[in-house]
Amino acid sequence: MNRPAPSSAVADPPHLRIENLSVERGGRVLIRNLSVAVPRGRFIAVIGPSGAGKSTLLETLAGMLPHPAGSITYCCQQRCLHDPSGFRGRVGIVFQQLHLARNATALQNVLAGALSRHPWWRTLAGFPAAEQSLAQRCLDALELGVHRHRLVRRLSGGEQQRVALARALVQQPELILADEPVSQLDASLAARVLALLKDETRRSARTILCVLHDLALVDRFADGVLSLDASRHTGWQWRTAS
Amino acid sequence: MSTPTSPDTVDPTRAHVDAGRWPARLGPFQVAALLLGLAFLVSLPALRGSGRSLDYGDNLRRFLGQFMPPDFAVSAQAWQALIETGRMAVLATVFAALLALIIAPLAARTVAPAWVVWPARLGLNFVRSIPSLVWALLAVAIVGANPRAGVIALTCYSLGYLGKFFSDAFEAVDTRSADALRAAGAHPVQAFQFGLWPEVKPLIWSHTLWMLEYNVRAGTIIGYVGAGGIGTLLYTYQEFYQWDRFAAVLCFILLVVTVLDLAGARLRAALLGQDPAHRAEPPAAREVRRAKPDRLPG
Repeated sequence: MNRPAPSSAVADPPHLRIENLSVERGGRVLIRNLSVAVPRGRFIAVIGPSGAGKSTLLETLAGMLPHPAGSITYCCQQRCLHDPSGFRGRVGIVFQQLHLARNATALQNVLAGALSRHPWWRTLAGFPAAEQSLAQRCLDALELGVHRHRLVRRLSGGEQQRVALARALVQQPELILADEPVSQLDASLAARVLALLKDETRRSARTILCVLHDLALVDRFADGVLSLDASRHTGWQWRTAS
Repeated sequence: MSTPTSPDTVDPTRAHVDAGRWPARLGPFQVAALLLGLAFLVSLPALRGSGRSLDYGDNLRRFLGQFMPPDFAVSAQAWQALIETGRMAVLATVFAALLALIIAPLAARTVAPAWVVWPARLGLNFVRSIPSLVWALLAVAIVGANPRAGVIALTCYSLGYLGKFFSDAFEAVDTRSADALRAAGAHPVQAFQFGLWPEVKPLIWSHTLWMLEYNVRAGTIIGYVGAGGIGTLLYTYQEFYQWDRFAAVLCFILLVVTVLDLAGARLRAALLGQDPAHRAEPPAAREVRRAKPDRLPG
């Protein structure tokens, strides 16, 4: 896979550095001058009321939306710096609306997370056995193994949500942006899924930015909290977990 | 002191006045009904007859009387001709679907750039604007009066429709899955294969099945100009005023078309994951879902 050449290298840069970032949607500025440095392997909760800009921030960090001001810099494992477009393929995204192929099976959707590791002609006839095995393990870890051959449209909302998470995990990204990934799960399952994500940050040094609404889960799992609040002048507040 | 108001503030008095004006009360259904009413009035002159005094009821009775009873002695010939029509329809549908699969993505705005989309659409519009009977006349002139002419005619005719249906399907399905894969680093071909194709596949199959049913029906007509199939038999019996045999052939056509329609509807409903009760009229009009990307704010 082609990777862009490093723009610069520094001694020990944070995994994600956001500097003076402004985020807007529909001509309305939601966040002003956001400056945060997220070290590698942390679980960051993004909280805030509806309309505060949580999803918009995640889409901006994923490079799907332009930002009028400021900079976003990712640092890869080789300590090379990239902007969001240069980091594409290394960021796993769990969308709030999931964006799954509803007429494909759960397994096919999860396997699609591995696409960035293969040239397009290699996946024309399917995936290597190793990828199939990895996808199956991810589905099992998310308690979806028995549903692997079911069409996504036949799965419940919570099951679809876990398929989207499994797709992001199979991608084996350096960083995961998850927009309310457990909103349709019951409390017990939500805690198990977040524990799995937290484990990913420890075992694989993955950084996770996760939009959450349940403050009990935030207190339990988050290493840092980015609180978005339109009533503040800047629209944000950052704190590390105690 | 007056309260400052923003442009968004609703003035209830003003809203009441606006709601009272008749153009404000006209919704899209009222406008459509008004236009249809006008079109109906303008079209009334088309009802003018020959000017002669005819007893329509008596004419109908006499003509239909010649159909009864149907002469089922021609059953063997009718089945043979129906099989030939079916073969023509199957081959034409498969050829047209394969060609349309190549052309349709080029005519879909969500897949191809505008400079490719417009020529592709113009081509499909041109092919679609020519009736199947004219295609049959052309094909008979080129390859002679035989079933091959029927296959060619139905292929050309179906290509125009399937190309349109398929490109509409590509445009109508939810592209967010493909967008998500692109955002995760997938190549455009991979995003098409794993994001767009699974969503469009049921529609493609549904449209193709519908076209097969349609081609069986169209295949009965093109035989009138020598393009093979059961139409040739109908034409022969009509030329010799053998209306009882004509009626027997019509019965077989009715049977086959009804069975095909029922089986096709069930198959299409299964493919689309729908209740068979809500099944297909012309495919592009209803089966295609208009899924707009609707990212939620914040």
